[in-house]
Amino acid sequence: MALETIKVIDGIKFSVWSPTEIRKYSVAEITAPETYDEDGMSVQGGLMDGRLGTLEPGQKCLTCGNTAARCPGHFGHIELAEPVLHIAFIDNIYKLLLTTCRSCARLKIPQEELEEYHQIMKKEAAYTVISIKHIPTEIIERAKKEKTCPHCGKSQYELIFTKPTIFIERTELGENRLLPITIRERFSHMIDEDLKLLGYDPTTARPEWFILQVLPVPPVTVRPSIILETGIRSEDDLTHKLVDIIRVNQRLKESKEAGTPPLIVQDLVDLLQYHVTTYFDNEVSGIPQAHHRSGRPLKTLTQRLKGKEGRFRGSLSGKRVDFSSRTVISPDPNLQISEVGVPEAVATKLTIPEVVTEWNIERLKKLVINGPSKFPGANYIVRPDGVKIRLDFVEDRETIANNIEIGYLVERHLSDGDIVMFNRQPSLHQMSIMGHYVRVLPGKTFRLHPSVCPPYNADFDGDEMNLHVPQSEEARAEAILLMRVQDQLISPRYGGPIIGALRDFITGAYLLTKDDTTLTPQEFANLAMLAGFSGTFPEPAVKAKGGSLYSGKQLFSLFLPKDFNYVITSKWSKGTKGPVKDVVIKNGQLVSGVIDKASIGAEEPDSVLHRITKDYGYEEAKNFLNSILIMLKQFITGYGFSYGYADLELATKTKDGILENIQESYDRVYDFIAQAKKGTLQLSRGLSAEEALEAYIVNELSKARDKAGNSADKSFDETNAGRIMATTGARGSSLNIGQMAGALGQQSIRGRRILKGYSNRALPHFKENDANPDGKGFVKSNYREGLSTLEFFFHAMGGREGLVDTAVRTQQSGYMQRRLINALEHLKLEYDGTVRDPHGHIIQFLYGEDGIDVAKSDHGEAFRIARLIESESIIDSGKKATKEEITDLVKKYVKTFNPRLSKTVLEALLESKLSKEGVDKVCKKALELYDNAKVEPGQAVGVVTAQSIGEPGTQMTLRTFHFAGIRERNVTLGLPRLIELVDARKKPVTPTMDIYLEENHKKSKEKAIKVAREILHTKISALISSTETDYSTKIKLNLNQDKLRERACTIEDVVDALQSSKKKFEIEPSGNSITLTLPEESDTQTVLAMRNKVLSTTVKGVTDVERVTIVQQGEEWVIQTSGSNIAKVWEIDGIDKKNIRTNNIFEIAGTLGIEAARNSLINELSSTLEDQGLEVDVRYIMLVSDLMCSRGYLQQIGRHGIAGTKTSVLARAAFEITVPTIAEAALAGEVEELKGVTENVIVGANIPIGTGTVDLYMRVVQDG
Amino acid sequence: MISKKEKILIPDHIYVPKHEIINKDEAVKVLEKYHTKPTEMPLIYVSDPAIRGLGVKPGDMIKITRKSPTAGESLYYRYVVEE
Repeated sequence: MALETIKVIDGIKFSVWSPTEIRKYSVAEITAPETYDEDGMSVQGGLMDGRLGTLEPGQKCLTCGNTAARCPGHFGHIELAEPVLHIAFIDNIYKLLLTTCRSCARLKIPQEELEEYHQIMKKEAAYTVISIKHIPTEIIERAKKEKTCPHCGKSQYELIFTKPTIFIERTELGENRLLPITIRERFSHMIDEDLKLLGYDPTTARPEWFILQVLPVPPVTVRPSIILETGIRSEDDLTHKLVDIIRVNQRLKESKEAGTPPLIVQDLVDLLQYHVTTYFDNEVSGIPQAHHRSGRPLKTLTQRLKGKEGRFRGSLSGKRVDFSSRTVISPDPNLQISEVGVPEAVATKLTIPEVVTEWNIERLKKLVINGPSKFPGANYIVRPDGVKIRLDFVEDRETIANNIEIGYLVERHLSDGDIVMFNRQPSLHQMSIMGHYVRVLPGKTFRLHPSVCPPYNADFDGDEMNLHVPQSEEARAEAILLMRVQDQLISPRYGGPIIGALRDFITGAYLLTKDDTTLTPQEFANLAMLAGFSGTFPEPAVKAKGGSLYSGKQLFSLFLPKDFNYVITSKWSKGTKGPVKDVVIKNGQLVSGVIDKASIGAEEPDSVLHRITKDYGYEEAKNFLNSILIMLKQFITGYGFSYGYADLELATKTKDGILENIQESYDRVYDFIAQAKKGTLQLSRGLSAEEALEAYIVNELSKARDKAGNSADKSFDETNAGRIMATTGARGSSLNIGQMAGALGQQSIRGRRILKGYSNRALPHFKENDANPDGKGFVKSNYREGLSTLEFFFHAMGGREGLVDTAVRTQQSGYMQRRLINALEHLKLEYDGTVRDPHGHIIQFLYGEDGIDVAKSDHGEAFRIARLIESESIIDSGKKATKEEITDLVKKYVKTFNPRLSKTVLEALLESKLSKEGVDKVCKKALELYDNAKVEPGQAVGVVTAQSIGEPGTQMTLRTFHFAGIRERNVTLGLPRLIELVDARKKPVTPTMDIYLEENHKKSKEKAIKVAREILHTKISALISSTETDYSTKIKLNLNQDKLRERACTIEDVVDALQSSKKKFEIEPSGNSITLTLPEESDTQTVLAMRNKVLSTTVKGVTDVERVTIVQQGEEWVIQTSGSNIAKVWEIDGIDKKNIRTNNIFEIAGTLGIEAARNSLINELSSTLEDQGLEVDVRYIMLVSDLMCSRGYLQQIGRHGIAGTKTSVLARAAFEITVPTIAEAALAGEVEELKGVTENVIVGANIPIGTGTVDLYMRVVQDG
Repeated sequence: MISKKEKILIPDHIYVPKHEIINKDEAVKVLEKYHTKPTEMPLIYVSDPAIRGLGVKPGDMIKITRKSPTAGESLYYRYVVEE
């Protein structure tokens, strides 16, 4: 094999082709609109000219002489009869026309000021990094307003731009069309200095090149023609478009030569412009799309690049791959968690290249003899000279097998023990692709252990998964070292286990470990053997009549590490209100308590499983899991566990009781309605009468459902399968049981009862304004008995909402995930512990502020000092160390620890009863664990962060509004709020403030109310009962005393407000009303407008604060508001100026600075996630916040923020707005340095992150 | 009046960590420690409310002492730039 040099792309420079260059690179001028002649030969000078490259394999290229495989294709060109505008640069053309003089082509800014700008640009002081970017926009803004040129003094005309391509100048003589040729002429006079100020690189992009005189014709390889089955040749869309251009160009040329009237020539020029425009972009607004003969819009250049299926995202960032397979998945609990069952049909198609050595030659020979169709076999042999032999075509495999020598390569079938990558979409986090060991099995589906479903989020209702076979040793090594299932037991999102027992395994664990479970020695031995136990059995613990029996706990204990100690409260104990800390494991023996979800469940931090993983390592944890899972499976299979119709049967008495209870609730509802009618219902603050009534009813009905559910639940005993599953956490909840056996309860849409649909009723089957909750969607029946027709319909309404919600949510969170990934993918951990982007910009000085990797941490902590002390104190025997000894020892070890950690270590040790040696040991262990938990350089911290925040997005509710605290304040929550935060919106949908009060105000409710009144924005409209006007001069405001009192205003306040508003009218207060007299008679409209203005005059309070509520928090009173305006609230007396909080991050950035914005962003993000019960480590939230705030202002996660300001052109183009990005890059002469992730994926190079940051060098020892 | 108020108020809010200007020598030390250039540092505008009272000018380095949920206390540096 010839030694091939590997060429590495250093960079890509973007520029605009000049006409000279286009002609230079062209191999042929294209003049003929025909493509092929009658014989099917390509026409000379036609679009399929042989010089442009070759398509058919046999043909040779007329330019380079290569065959199709090696010829890259060559450009041609079309000489345009009349210049046309390039649509991608149309905005730049417009801006240049606006800002330059029409006569001298200089920027319309005085020379001195231009010099100043030059000075700033030249200075290149580090502190101008941001301001320098504003120069072009600043110049454009200034220059376009200039009416006369400061250089030549010529007056400028108004420019009208009719999209997409027409420019008109409005002169004294009338409107004058600016033709491309004129524009070109004008641009060619622009001087380089001016262009540089506008951000152009004049060497790569002269503005006159934006006007095309000559059009490059792409090589045929870019637009191959295809031959249909019918034998008819079908041309590419681009070829079609080019044919149009050539035709019109020809006609235009002929018309010009023939001296056709200018009007007709102009029409032709416009037509040429249209065709060239649509050739570049067929989705320009304002002009009709060009269509194919069949009516389908043509896919021209922009459409090829743009969007999900475009070149960037569809063919460059993501490609189809070989050595992969996809099929339906099904469960197999007999597999190990790290295995995947591969059907034989797949295993015989996927191959692994294996080099023949003296150690494997015999085995490989056998495989070759077996051939491609018999498993295990081989599909190909590659000889050292590079010749590949396909074994399908080999008649006598026996001979060829014997000819195999060392150094040959055999592509053998995938077989047991090979490592493969297994994946399920959507790949939301790193655990969506894991390394599994192959088990070739009969059947046609991929098999996986049910316990690895959570990380993939897979189920078996028809899900399909993908399998990839790594082909190189390096790839396999990486898969084994980093990707195997057992290495992914701990989720990097929160540092707890994501894989564990689930469903029947948990039920099985409960049934096995509950106190009365006994096993005969035979059963015990069988199960232990199945789980792979080796060693001596313990003595049976239970003495029975027929001989000794083992307890279930003994069996479980066999697999616990021998020195394992742990205490935990089981879910079962919590559910049955049993004792806390009931599960006791002492020296690897389960002493008491039952094992359930809390001990071995998936997604349960601080469980037994988690402890084993952290204290004994992944391998031990994997073995533990594998053993108990197979054992539990076998145990529950033998035990027998089912749940059916009969298990939900209730006694008639209970049933009647439930119905009676519901009826009582109904009666109470009727009572509420009656009270509301009389007006005696007690209103809670901030709610209108109707809202309050509805709240009471909803509350009562939910109580009714709970009662029904509870009495149903209670009537089942502890051996009821449903109860067992619900209380152990295996599946379902008591709510589910209640709905199956008790009553389904209220159905809701958008968080409300089903109130509307028809006039004053939900369905036509009810009377209007019927008070009966049945008519508003309360379902009295349960699933077991079945629903009535109407109930069923209501239930379907609620169910539909759920479906729509999920569909919308997946879309929204998917897009958020994409943006997060795009903004963060290039961040990695450097060797100095900083987090930086590939251009060296520091985002964090120390990752997570403590340098701890969450995935290697113990639920977010580097180590658990309490655990260390606990396990040490069991073996520790010396006398207790003194305070000084401990302090000294600790000081020695904690040097590298951060302040918080060293403090906790010291405090914990001081409280312990350890001896000096013990303390020393604990410290040593702690230091070791600390060092192990540190993040490794090169780690893709950005991607992990994006995944950790994006992935839980799919699990969040979409319910936009929720009442925070006591139903008085609407705030955005869940996914919409998360999106709002990463969007860095100027104003959140529901801005609110929490205003804490000063020392002497916060204790008293009265004082709090007083302050609140000062804050609440009060307009005149809120104080009046009515207005009167004579529609010409007078406006009379009738003030309402009650409202005035409520807002603590006086008539004088109103008069003052009116006076300060500087309106020209006289103010006459009289009693409860104020009369305003306008100085002159006006028409009705003016008076009404005036009245509205007057009504919206502020009397007092802070603008934007629409509502205030005071809330008691512990001892103190806090004011909560709807609407936010920190700056103004500051000026009010009585508030605690240090402690005003708002959920408007942007406002904080403006009033308190970028650091404060970062802090509040962290707070808001964590509380949003926490509120949804989703655990995400703070380090991730901090990284996102730091990134968003790293440039001194709030940057959005998205195209206008981080993704849009990336240095890499390709990365920006691959994200969104593809074509304009490339055009901008071209005119600025940007260079793609290929330092980031996306860029390198696009060019097909190694990504500089993780294992891609390092190279492996080997010292080759010379012979001899 | 406004500037007087802000000087007192702003650095005193619970969300605002301690900002201080560090002198040139220290700034150089920070840059050396992280092998970095000013332009690669996190930035802060001269006009940022949290440093308005400190008399900063573009080109200064600000040391920020943050309260940290993970480390107790942590340092962050920002380079002052023009808006």
